[in-house]
Amino acid sequence: MEHPIHNVVTRTYSRVMFAVCVAFTVAILGILALVTAYLLSIGASSLSWDFFTRLPIPRGMDGYPGGMANALLGTVILIALASTVGIPVGMLTGIYLSEYSANSMIAAPTRFICDVLNGVPSIVVGILGYEFVVRPLNHFSGYAGAVALAFIMVPIVARTTEEMLRLVPNSYREASIALGATKARTILKVVLPAATGSVITGIMLAIARVAGETAPLLFTALGSALMTVNPSSPFPALTLQVYEHSRSPEPAQQKLAWAGILVLIALIFVLNLGIRFFARSVQTRTAR
Amino acid sequence: MSESVIGPAMEYATVRPFEARRGSLIRTGWRLGPDAILSSLTRAAAVLVMLMLAVLVAVLTHASLLSIHQFGARFLVSSEWRPNELPAGPKKDKSGNVIVDEDGNTVMEMIPPSFGALPVIFGTAVSSVLALLFAVPLSFGAALFLVRISPRFLAGPVSFLVEFLAAIPSIAYGMWGLFVLGPFLQARVEQGCRWLYDASGHPSAFHWLFRESTHLGTRAVITRELPLSGHDMLCGGLVLAIMIVPIITAIGRDVLKSVPRAQVEGTVALGATWWQSSREMLRYSRAGLFGAVMLGLARAAGETMAVTMVIGNNNEIRASLFAPAQTMSSLLANEFAEASTDLHRSALSEVALILLAMSLLFNVIARYLVVGKNSRSAAAH
Repeated sequence: MEHPIHNVVTRTYSRVMFAVCVAFTVAILGILALVTAYLLSIGASSLSWDFFTRLPIPRGMDGYPGGMANALLGTVILIALASTVGIPVGMLTGIYLSEYSANSMIAAPTRFICDVLNGVPSIVVGILGYEFVVRPLNHFSGYAGAVALAFIMVPIVARTTEEMLRLVPNSYREASIALGATKARTILKVVLPAATGSVITGIMLAIARVAGETAPLLFTALGSALMTVNPSSPFPALTLQVYEHSRSPEPAQQKLAWAGILVLIALIFVLNLGIRFFARSVQTRTAR
Repeated sequence: MSESVIGPAMEYATVRPFEARRGSLIRTGWRLGPDAILSSLTRAAAVLVMLMLAVLVAVLTHASLLSIHQFGARFLVSSEWRPNELPAGPKKDKSGNVIVDEDGNTVMEMIPPSFGALPVIFGTAVSSVLALLFAVPLSFGAALFLVRISPRFLAGPVSFLVEFLAAIPSIAYGMWGLFVLGPFLQARVEQGCRWLYDASGHPSAFHWLFRESTHLGTRAVITRELPLSGHDMLCGGLVLAIMIVPIITAIGRDVLKSVPRAQVEGTVALGATWWQSSREMLRYSRAGLFGAVMLGLARAAGETMAVTMVIGNNNEIRASLFAPAQTMSSLLANEFAEASTDLHRSALSEVALILLAMSLLFNVIARYLVVGKNSRSAAAH
């Protein structure tokens, strides 16, 4: 038999560790609350209509410090450009991994490479964009930034599409084949529609990720204080503008940066909520 | 553990019906129909993804060739990072006379630019390890909370919040670190340590924490007080810790969840306390947890914007946590756009190549551990 004192010690130790686990969770949530509360309060107090409607205005000019209208538009255009390349390639890869992988030599390596690409530091992707697009064309451009963002999107979209298509029960495919449909028809008319919501989840996940990226744009899109919709010139982006303003010694420009952060986080929060909503709706549908 | 590195063994056991029937009544020849088009399109996309990694490695290697040729292995151990030429003294001809150009100015002997990655490798290693020191206990505690303590109605929202912490962009953490955490560290923590140091009876023991020494060449040594700006290695490590907590927590939670129920019930039936059975869970899933830590490490090592904004960007090796430092990624963010010579850009590309190799290594190890573990527990059910 164990000595009773020993027993008391072990139990107390266990209780202490239990409390430590709870305390650590509370600490993490506390940090989250601290960070977001600060971002929200400072950001909200700096946000104004000017932010959405005006360009950045240098100190000493009328209307200083202006807003980030061009950067907002720039981010939207960059995401749209990156999506037109990244989403189709990612989705096709996901379909391949889920539907064509059974007798494939390249499915396993592709899946592995997707996971590895997901972990590549985004600044390295920025350098790839520089060497691949900026250097041959000899100038910074929105296209280079879009290429870098697309590079980041592809593996995310591919892996989420694959995982979501795998959730579609095999009986759907069997039924479609049994009715005489070809494989392509089965995928396009049965499997994909059954997983529409979840495929949108993957797309939103990828958009949420690239919307907040700064590092890959530093040496590709470069940023711009002008209103431009021409992606073959240096291109503004919200994150780049925030980074530039955050390094400014001017309090007015710093406030503008806080407002930019708030808008960015609000966008990502909405996307995240959307992701959860769609993911849940899909889970309940396939569980039926 | 003998299954493939790539995914749970279950994936391969599932054979889809139409693929099992290949070569039977259903024709799968290469006619140009929707079938052939879709299958070749998706295959092309998959090949493209594989090419992406190859292109990434090839382009970075090509870009850093110049630097690799110039410096070789010395690049990894040299701590000098000097993009500009330095005047070494007046240039002399064979007879020892000072050479003068047409305008009568003395021609100077120049020391060529020199690049070494040791300070940034050091900075990345120290800031990442610092981040792990803070983040790993917190994350494992929270993972245990989510798996073993939290009531079901709490687990969902807490998981969502922790995952949302991961979705906040790097630059937001950077702003927070720059304007909130940095000044706080400066005013409270660093000044507090400084006060303790001054008040303690044995100040020389902690000398290194508040002083920095500059070596000029091998000769002169200047020692001066550190400015204690708040934007230093410590601040960088803390911001990184906050950023990697979500990833370690989320993966740790999944790994702990996959521990077979019988394993836990067995320990409890034998009379284990809560902590003893939890420790058994941790031990059972140690490979997966190590994988989670590796993924956190990979994220910390590659993190750019937040670190660039808070770490002080000083490209020298300093022993003190209160000294500004530089990581590989922050060096790239700071200098790449402004690099004016080919050699400078090539050296930066080589830093990026090292960073890429490191993150690939961490990721491969992590995937192997996490996935290998999951497939074993999947087989156990």
